[in-house]
Amino acid sequence: MSAPQDQKQGTAGLNRPRPADIRTLRFPLTRDDARRLRAGDMILADGEIVITAGLPTVQRLVACAEEARDPPIALDGGSLFHLGSYSQDTADGGLEILYMNPTTSTRFNPLMPRLIRHFGLTAVGGKGGLDAGCVEAMREVGCVYLSFLGGGAPLHSAAIKAVREVAYPDLVAHYRLVRLAVEGLGPLTVGIDAHGNSLFDALQQQAADRMPDILARLDADRAAS
Amino acid sequence: MPITYDAVKALSAQLYDWSLRRVPPDTLGGLEAALATETQDGARQVLRMMLGSARKAEAEDRFVCSDAGVPVYHVTIGTAARLDGDIKAAISDGFDALVERISPPLLKHVTNPLTNERGHKGRDMPLVTWDVAGGADWVEILCQPKALGSGRWAALETFSFPTLAQIEEYVMKVVMQAGSQHCPPVIIGVGIGGSFDVAARIASKATMRAIGTTNPEPMLASMEARLLRAVNATGFGPMGTGGDTTALAVHVDYASGHGYTPVAVCFNCWINRRTRARIHNDGSVERME
Repeated sequence: MSAPQDQKQGTAGLNRPRPADIRTLRFPLTRDDARRLRAGDMILADGEIVITAGLPTVQRLVACAEEARDPPIALDGGSLFHLGSYSQDTADGGLEILYMNPTTSTRFNPLMPRLIRHFGLTAVGGKGGLDAGCVEAMREVGCVYLSFLGGGAPLHSAAIKAVREVAYPDLVAHYRLVRLAVEGLGPLTVGIDAHGNSLFDALQQQAADRMPDILARLDADRAAS
Repeated sequence: MPITYDAVKALSAQLYDWSLRRVPPDTLGGLEAALATETQDGARQVLRMMLGSARKAEAEDRFVCSDAGVPVYHVTIGTAARLDGDIKAAISDGFDALVERISPPLLKHVTNPLTNERGHKGRDMPLVTWDVAGGADWVEILCQPKALGSGRWAALETFSFPTLAQIEEYVMKVVMQAGSQHCPPVIIGVGIGGSFDVAARIASKATMRAIGTTNPEPMLASMEARLLRAVNATGFGPMGTGGDTTALAVHVDYASGHGYTPVAVCFNCWINRRTRARIHNDGSVERME
């Protein structure tokens, strides 16, 4: 990676794009596309993604990595999003996803670095971000974190074009591992880029930096009331 | 015609179903007001997506969020209500009946906390609180399904004779702990005093107050206004990716206590699920929200 690509942005540089800037990218994301994205960019996703909202599912994938077994759905160079879904059998023997929506990513923090490195993931995502250990793994590998709208089930579900594969049928619906074809999924915000910039960490730090002033203003407002 | 088992069973199931498909009008108004004042382009885009998601859910009869949560009901029984049947069983049976028939189906979110096994049923599910209203001739049922994303960030700490500054600083500490995680912009409920359980109940009920209403206690009204400014000054923004809109409202209430003063803080995500109706003694159902 070249130095400019690795350069971290300060909080002041994390301004969001105008809606006109939203590009559509093909998934699985190429490593080059992943590295071209910057924290704060917004994109739409076309192509194929792999999803699950389940901790037991992610634990099984980690076991695959540790035991050098192939997972039931190929993940190499692909994406793994923290999205829950409800699927049902269709009359023609297929599966239909009735609704899909992100779940909180941070509970997968301890497991994600292993998966990001082992499978060389180019995109992960869900809502709420991932921690510094994951950010480092993503920087090493060239992987971005995409933030989905929580409470966006009608929008996300409408982007599903086909259910390609469903694995781990013994788990409850939203814990299954599912490979989906999507079109126009998003807009998704690049919450963490492949260069170590995390909106979540930057904003947490920004809020901490502001807190003395915020508390002083509370004191002043209280005194004036 | 008194208030029957069948009426309570049907209404409690309907309230849960309705709550999943529509963002309350006051909350849509809060999001629209935020869109008018939000200064960051990306945050405005997220707010527009939220409004679009809410409108699409309503138009197409879809769930707004796949995390339908677990059913939480707050039931208030008027002392002049005439009851015919086991209305406690009716609420539980109504939930079971809804699970069987609701379309699309509910995900299995009900969790045994000891084994983490998940299903549609479980001990003490639905979660119900009971209250009494003096003289009223109705039963009121408020349904507020609670999802994991915002539910997990609630917190409570017990102080001794705290100052308002200490209380407000604690609220900000809990806001910082939640950070970007709870699907902001959120509605924040703060409960002060009473006892451990009462403070938590007050905080939870405070989230249910309509956005835009003013607290009748001037001291609390000013606290709510300055805490809302303070929370939004953090800059977490819609979905926690930056912006001026981290909370749509801060609602505070209190109960007198001993001097050990619990302060409870809880959050509702931006979709702010909430439906409420009353069944009157004549059998009529009055939808409140």
